Amino acid sequence: MRDVSFGQYYPSNSVVHRLDARAKLLLTIAFIVMVFLVDNLLAYIPVVVFILLVTLVSRVPVLKVLKSIKAIIFIVVLMSIINLFANAEGEVYWSWWRLSITSGGVLTAINLALRLIFLVMGSSLLTYTTTPMELTDGMESLMYPLKLIKVPTHDIAIIMSIALRFIPILMEEVDKIMMAQKARGACFDRGGVFKRAKALLPVLIPLFVSAFRRADELALALDARCYNATPNRTKYKQAKLGWGDLVATLITGVFITLVVAINNNFWGLY
Amino acid sequence: MEQIAQKDIVISIDNVSYDYRSNSDEFVARGVKGVSLSIERGDFCVLLGRNGSGKSTLAKLLNGFIVPDSGTVLVNGIDTKNDDRIYDIRSKVGMVFQNPDNQMVASIIEDDLAFGPENLGVPREEIEERITWALETVNMSEHRKRSPNKLSGGQKQRIAIASVLSMLPEILILDESTAMLDPKGRAEVMETAMRLNKDKGMTVILITHYMDEAVGADKVFVLSEGELIGQGTPREIFRDRELIKRAYLELPIASSISLELIEKGYDIPFALTDEELVEGICKLK
Repeated sequence: MRDVSFGQYYPSNSVVHRLDARAKLLLTIAFIVMVFLVDNLLAYIPVVVFILLVTLVSRVPVLKVLKSIKAIIFIVVLMSIINLFANAEGEVYWSWWRLSITSGGVLTAINLALRLIFLVMGSSLLTYTTTPMELTDGMESLMYPLKLIKVPTHDIAIIMSIALRFIPILMEEVDKIMMAQKARGACFDRGGVFKRAKALLPVLIPLFVSAFRRADELALALDARCYNATPNRTKYKQAKLGWGDLVATLITGVFITLVVAINNNFWGLY
Repeated sequence: MEQIAQKDIVISIDNVSYDYRSNSDEFVARGVKGVSLSIERGDFCVLLGRNGSGKSTLAKLLNGFIVPDSGTVLVNGIDTKNDDRIYDIRSKVGMVFQNPDNQMVASIIEDDLAFGPENLGVPREEIEERITWALETVNMSEHRKRSPNKLSGGQKQRIAIASVLSMLPEILILDESTAMLDPKGRAEVMETAMRLNKDKGMTVILITHYMDEAVGADKVFVLSEGELIGQGTPREIFRDRELIKRAYLELPIASSISLELIEKGYDIPFALTDEELVEGICKLK
């Protein structure tokens, strides 16, 4: 079984876990926007410190948060390489034909890699400390204004929750189908890109067939449990904003200010 | 006859037929044909039949998923054709399906249990009580805050039962809910269903092709080719070799051995379980 860290909840009863999902969602978005505004390597130091602190307070194992990077490592490397050559400013370290590595290129590449890594770490911290149900409820609540223009926000929330629930199930299914195809002589790890992509076809087709069958049964199960029985649906878990959320917002606010200040050399440190 | 009249009928099916048709109204497959039966409150009923015998069609008819082409299905006196009251029926008839993974909507067990009552607009505090009660009933209280993904098949299916129980149904239908489980999981689910019936007085309708699951039932219905070909107590049904052959079912080992022995002229009583068979043989001289 491959490790699918994304979207997996890590149960604990820490302060971070108890925060309101809406607060965590908005703070994560603020964090991500901030990470993308930073372009000074020095400013990443407080970002690392902040992520570490949140991880420690949330009692999620640091290793688990680091593991979430594994899923995007390919994209990070690819994007870095492209950016390494795309930026041709600054001192030239090495050049061949039209390609050259410059100080500007190295800087952009590192910047981009760090941005992507922090983005994933930040958002996986959100999913580690928030159950998918809380998350979707939070999104539903944040989407409330859309309800006034007749967007079915609750249906969207249920769709997201079901999608998250079925990620590990479908992953397991992919493994089973691949094993079954391997047992019959299929080969997934040899040949060029196209050959490999073609080899995946006999995996994808049964996967889709099974996903549709599951969807069919799930629809019956939803109906059996009176989905849409009444417009006055109640909520078992009612999220309430508390003091903790205010404190978390303040801390994050201070931290973001700090990062922006360092990024723009506010104190003239360098 | 008087006694039957006094008993409370929760489900009555009268001469019901249903065929599966495509969108262009072409005949696709036979569902059920001319089935009439009634189920009394508090009974443990088993619907027996092999694949394609129409037993799952019958389950879908009971819940109003499909409405009969002809005949009527009454649940608590409400016709399933009555669209306005369909949720009155569905909240009273809890249905558990075959694959436990495909009937859970949430990634945390308590959230999944809350889904039904939430849909019915049950107040928050009451949902909390219902979840506690339902999890205790299926002996899964310690898993309340966990994910269903790491559970065994039997445990998952018990959670699926609890998720239905949180709607406080009067009737529990298990539609081949044991078919995908290993023997241990099957035993867990059977034990839970039996206990609900005996302790809580819940009407249970178990749909299966395993005859041994019908041993403890109050009433057994046998379906074949969409028709009801027999009904009675397990003892009556199990002895009817002709009927079992027609339904393509397989007698539990104990019953078939005791039948063989009786036919060979040994003086033992007809046995439903291994224990009964052992007892009968021990009494032989």
